[in-house]
This record gives sequence, structure tokens and C-alpha cells, in this order.
Amino acid sequence: MIDILIFFIGASLLLYILLGGSDFGAGIVELLPARGLRRARKEVINRAMGPVWEANHIWLILIVVILFVGFPRIFATLMISLHVPFLALLVGIVIRGTVFTFRHYDAVQEPVSQKVYTWLFGLSSLWSALWLGIIVASLTRGTIDPKATDVWRAYFAPWWGVYPLAVGIFVACIFAFLASVFLVGETEDETLKRRFRRDAAVFNVLLIATGGLVFAASLGERPGLLRLFIAHPVAIAAVVSATLLFVALWRFVSRRQVMLTRAVAAGQVVLILGGWWVLYAPNVVLTVDGPLGFYDQAAPEPALRQLVIALLVGSAFIFPSLAFLLCVFKLGAREEQ
Amino acid sequence: MDDLTAARATMGFSLGFHIIFAVIGMTMPFLMSAAHYLHLKRGDAVYLELTRMWMKGVAIFFAVGAVSGTVLSFELGLLWPGFMEHAGPIIGMPFSWEGTAFFVEAVAIGLFLYGWKRMKPWVHWVTGLMVGVSGFASGIFVVAANSWMNAPQGFEWADGVARNIDPVAAMFNRAWPHQAIHMQLAALQAVGFAVAGVHAFLYLRGRAPELNLKALRIAMVFGASAAILQPVSGHFAGERIAELQPAKLAAIEGHFETRTHAPLTLGGIPDVETRSTKWGLELPGALSLLAHRDPAAEVIGLDRFPREDWPPVLIVHLAFQLMVALGVWMAVLGGFFFWYRRKANFPRRFLWALVFATPLGMIAVEAGWIVTELGRQPWIIYDVMRTADAVTPVPGMVYHFVLFLALYLGLAAVTAWLFVRQVRITQRKFEGL
Repeated sequence: MIDILIFFIGASLLLYILLGGSDFGAGIVELLPARGLRRARKEVINRAMGPVWEANHIWLILIVVILFVGFPRIFATLMISLHVPFLALLVGIVIRGTVFTFRHYDAVQEPVSQKVYTWLFGLSSLWSALWLGIIVASLTRGTIDPKATDVWRAYFAPWWGVYPLAVGIFVACIFAFLASVFLVGETEDETLKRRFRRDAAVFNVLLIATGGLVFAASLGERPGLLRLFIAHPVAIAAVVSATLLFVALWRFVSRRQVMLTRAVAAGQVVLILGGWWVLYAPNVVLTVDGPLGFYDQAAPEPALRQLVIALLVGSAFIFPSLAFLLCVFKLGAREEQ
Repeated sequence: MDDLTAARATMGFSLGFHIIFAVIGMTMPFLMSAAHYLHLKRGDAVYLELTRMWMKGVAIFFAVGAVSGTVLSFELGLLWPGFMEHAGPIIGMPFSWEGTAFFVEAVAIGLFLYGWKRMKPWVHWVTGLMVGVSGFASGIFVVAANSWMNAPQGFEWADGVARNIDPVAAMFNRAWPHQAIHMQLAALQAVGFAVAGVHAFLYLRGRAPELNLKALRIAMVFGASAAILQPVSGHFAGERIAELQPAKLAAIEGHFETRTHAPLTLGGIPDVETRSTKWGLELPGALSLLAHRDPAAEVIGLDRFPREDWPPVLIVHLAFQLMVALGVWMAVLGGFFFWYRRKANFPRRFLWALVFATPLGMIAVEAGWIVTELGRQPWIIYDVMRTADAVTPVPGMVYHFVLFLALYLGLAAVTAWLFVRQVRITQRKFEGL
């Protein structure tokens, strides 16, 4: 029972990073200068993200629901100790979610308001990605202190530091990289294609650099990602192969194989997340008093059973409808309405 | 403002904000689908324009509803971790179903908004309808979680821990039917009247008369039907509350003293100090009759409850009076609508009445939620857990409140501005129709 739930949490997290992540990334990409291509780039992003926009973000809600139903102590602890970063993330999600829709559906498409929307969309996307990374990093730092009484130790120390920030930047780079790789295949326009390819290259370099930064920053941490990592051959293999896959990725890019390029980029994310997962699971939340594991913090059996039923039956609705959505938009002819 | 007050204010404000967009997001698609259906059936271009116009409204309001709903799912934990830690497993079931329904809704809205040329017309129509159906379903599910707070069941509470959890019993709690029916009717009613009011106004101003009249008719069929059914569901709800939460009923009615032949007080100001409701119009025996179907029945008053377990009587009573007054007025307008509809001619005076009724449904929805939520206080889970015991230990909640107040007020302002722009532009475009 618990294993099924862990699977759903992991799968939702992965899908959120892949799908929601490319949404966030699209916003970050729009922050880059584009010399006359801004308008075309905006159109491509509207068209590519619009239909899947809402669906991409429900993975996050799914994780929240699974946590508070199946693992209520973990949920409550995180909501208390990481109150500030969650709040920051929410502000970002609210702004970017609404601004993206407003930009498209504003009845008057005038330059000034469009510019404001685009900047807000970009900045809030970057902001949310950073905080998402900070939250993920804070889970496993072992700094969450549910018993602390002073404000700093209880609500700021858990997420404050160079290491969470480094992870935040790394996550933002992953998102932007995913988005640029994805967007290359969403346009027929050659200059724009070139533009997205160059963005992908930039974020590729940044990814490797910030990946190193994450490891370096973790040296200041007590359990320390790097030390755990070196002792774990599977994690090493995952990260090394993720890095090596860049070679394959650029080969596919130059051969213009859109689907293969996307598959490789997704594979890299799977490997990175998988590497992180094998290091920590099932204890993905570490407090000063030890881990809050999925197995020892699960809700009573009847609650888990109903949750699993809901998830399985729900999947029977969700996956076919998602597949239909993708069929209609991603495989259909690329003519505009 | 202390932390508990700030947390409650944040929650109240977030819910009050979300509910407007949620209500629009789950019922507006039905109006849109009705127009779309008429277009496909009759090939009338005006209905197509109407569909597209309403679709844009749905897109904007849905986006705000979706993000404010996401915020709420976090806020349950950010503000009330003590509540979620215990209640999460018990009432998780409706939340999981709500999540599923919302997922389908999000997929359907993507298909409908962007799929005009990518699907066969009737398949496309079905996707639009699915937005409404799944939205409506998610509304029904999420109300189950709230109604459980009013009528908690499906667990045993001992030493501050819930045992023998039965999520199925919790989901099918005894307050669910009346709350869900009342809420969903209210949603149809509020949206029907709001949309009809806007189109009545544009019609009276001489803008695109055919389009606006057709729009008004569709909207009012929903709004008027719901408004006429709503008093029945309200009465049903009242009977259930009398049984499940007598303290809430007593606060609603400003009924301090337990007695037989209890009168129904219309209006009036309850005074907690003197334990009496002044300046109200009393209908002898009517409260006993409404609550227990017997004018001689005993109705429990606030005197049966310790003072610290009283809800805020004044606000609950006034909010309830407001809701009922607005509901009665809308039911009257609904009756007139069907009357004039048969005569195929709407007098201008009636249309002006609709214009002034534009916000009434939404105000009634807010007032109704104030009754439900404040009427349950000081409990977060009725008779089990106090709100004060569920609040987060995080200090400085007032900053959280101010932040979200500013964010949501800004969002509301932008949405309103966009809405006005939208109406102006589309009306200018379809002037000729």
C-alpha cells in the first residue's frame, strides 16, 4: 500500500518537474534577450503551453493531497518548518499562472501591458523555480527542527543557506533547459529554432556548472550531499550517465530529431531525480531528530486504502484524457486556430 | 492582530476570494455549452459568438480559480497544520476525488479552449461540457470535506488522536447532502444572475440587442431555475442543522433561550450581553415549525451551550438574514423571468431589476459561507477540535495575511479590468448582430 503511494509521489514529482518544469522554464527563457524575436517567441510559447498549462500543474496538487492524506505528519511538519519558502513559492505560482492566461486572453493586445505580463511571467517563473529548489534541498538537509522554540531555528534555519540556494539555481537551469529543448520542436521558424537551440546550449553549460556548484555548496552541510553521493555507486552512475547523455542529445539536435531530443532531455531529468531518490528514499524528509520516513509516518491503513483506490481509479480517468489531449495537440497538424 | 486572528482572516479571505472564481469556473461552462449547443443545432452564428465570448471569460476566471485553489490546498497545512495532521487521513477521500475531477477539468478546458479546429464539432462540444461536469463534480467533492467539519464522523477521538478511521463514513457524512445541494444550486444561481445582469445592462444600453438578449435568456434559465429551487434546499439544510448543529441554528436565528413554540425572528439585532434579539419581527411558532415540522416543538437555544462555545452570534445572524433576503428576491425575479419568457417579451423595468441583481447571487454565496464557517466556531471540527488548537505555531501570521490580501486584491483588480476590456471590445465587435 505504502509502496504504491511512494510510487505515485515519485511519479508525480517527476511529471511535475518534466511538464510543469518546462512551463516554468518557458517563463525563464522569455527573460532572455531576443532581438526582434520576442513576439514570435511569445506566440510559440502561448501555443505550445496553452493547452497543457492547467494540467501540468495538477501534479503538484496531487503530491500535496497524497502527503496530507497518506503522510499527515510529514505534511504538517513541512508546512510549519518550511512555511516561508512555501509561501514564497505560492506567491510565484499565483502570479505566473494568472499572468500567463491574462497575456493570452487580454482583449486588447497592446505593447505596454503585454510587456508587463511577459516580464511578470518570466520573473515569477524564475522566482518559483528557485523556491521549489530551495524546498527540495531543505527536505534532506537535516535542519528541520520541529521542537525549536526560537524563530530563527524553527522557521528560517531549515532553508537558509548556500546549499539550498545552489539547488534552487540548479532547478531553475533544469527547467529552462527542458523548456528550450522542448520549444525547438514547437516552431517551424528557422531563426527561432536557432534561438531556442542556442538557449538550450547556454543552459546546458549552466547546468553542468551549477551542478558542480550544488556539490561544492554541499560541503558546508553536515550530512552533505557530496559525501553521501560518493558512497553510493548507483547515484554516481545516474549522474554520470545524465551528463554523458548531453553528447547524445546534441547529436539528435543537430540531426533535427525532435522526439528523440526530448526523450533524452527527459531521460536526463529522470536520472538526476532518480539519483537523488536512491540517496534518500524512503526518508526524503530529514529533521534534526532523524528522518521522517514514508514507512513509519504513514496514516492508518483504511485511509491509505481509500487513497490508493482513488489514485488508481483516478488514473483510469486522468491518463486517457491526458493522452487524448496530447494526441489532439501534439500529434495533430500544426495549423493555428 | 494576533496570530490566530490573522490566520483566520487569511483563510476566510482566501476562501471568500476562491469561491467566486470556483463558482464561475464550475457553472459558467454549462452556460457556454448551452450556447454552443444551440449554435451547433441551429447553425445560428450569434450563438457561436456568444460561445466564444463566454469561453474567454471562462478561461480568465478559471485560471484565477485554479491558482487560488492551489493556494488553498497548501494553506490548509500552512495555516492549520494541527487540523490537517489529524483530519487529513480522515477526509482525504473527497480531496483525492476532487483532485481527480479537477484534473479532468483542466484537461477538458485545454481541449476546449484550443481545440476549435482540431476536433469534430460535437466532440469539441463534449469537451466543453466536460469542463462543466468535472468542475461541478469537484465542487461537490470538496464540499464533502467541509461538511465533515460540521458533522464529523468516521473516527473515534480519544486523547487528542483519531482512531478507527473510516474514510468512507467520513466522506458520506450527514451534512454532505444538504450542503452540496445548497452550494451547487447557489453556484448556478449566482452565475446565472451575474451573467444575465451584465447582458441585461448591455441590452438596455442598446448594444448588440440580439446577442445580449439570447445571452440573458440562457443565463436566466439556469439562474432562475436554481433561484426557485434554492429556498426548498435551504429549508432542508435548516432542518439538518437543527439536528446536527443546534448551536449554529441558534446563532443563525438569534435564538438565546431554549423553548417550545419558538418564534422565527426576521431581521433584528442579537445582543449577546442581554441574551435577546431586538427590533426583529417575530413569527410565533415558526422556528419550531421550520426546524422540527411542529409549531410546538422545542428548539434548543444558545443557553444550552457554555458561553465560550458560542459562535459569533451577531455576524452569523446578520449574514443569514442577508442571504435569505437576497435569495427570496432572486426567487421572485426568477418567477417573473419564466412568466415573461412565456410572453416572449421582457419589460425594461424587469431588465433593470436584473441589472441591479448582478452581484446579489455572489453576495448571497459569501454570506452563506460566513454562516457555515463562523457558525461552526469556535470549532474547526465541530465538537472535536477547536480552531485555536489547530492553528500553526508560526509567528507573524499578520504578514502572511497582508501579503495575500495585497496579492488577491491586486489580482481581483486586474481581473475586473480585463473583464471590462473584454466586454467593451467584444460588444463593439458584434454591434451589428
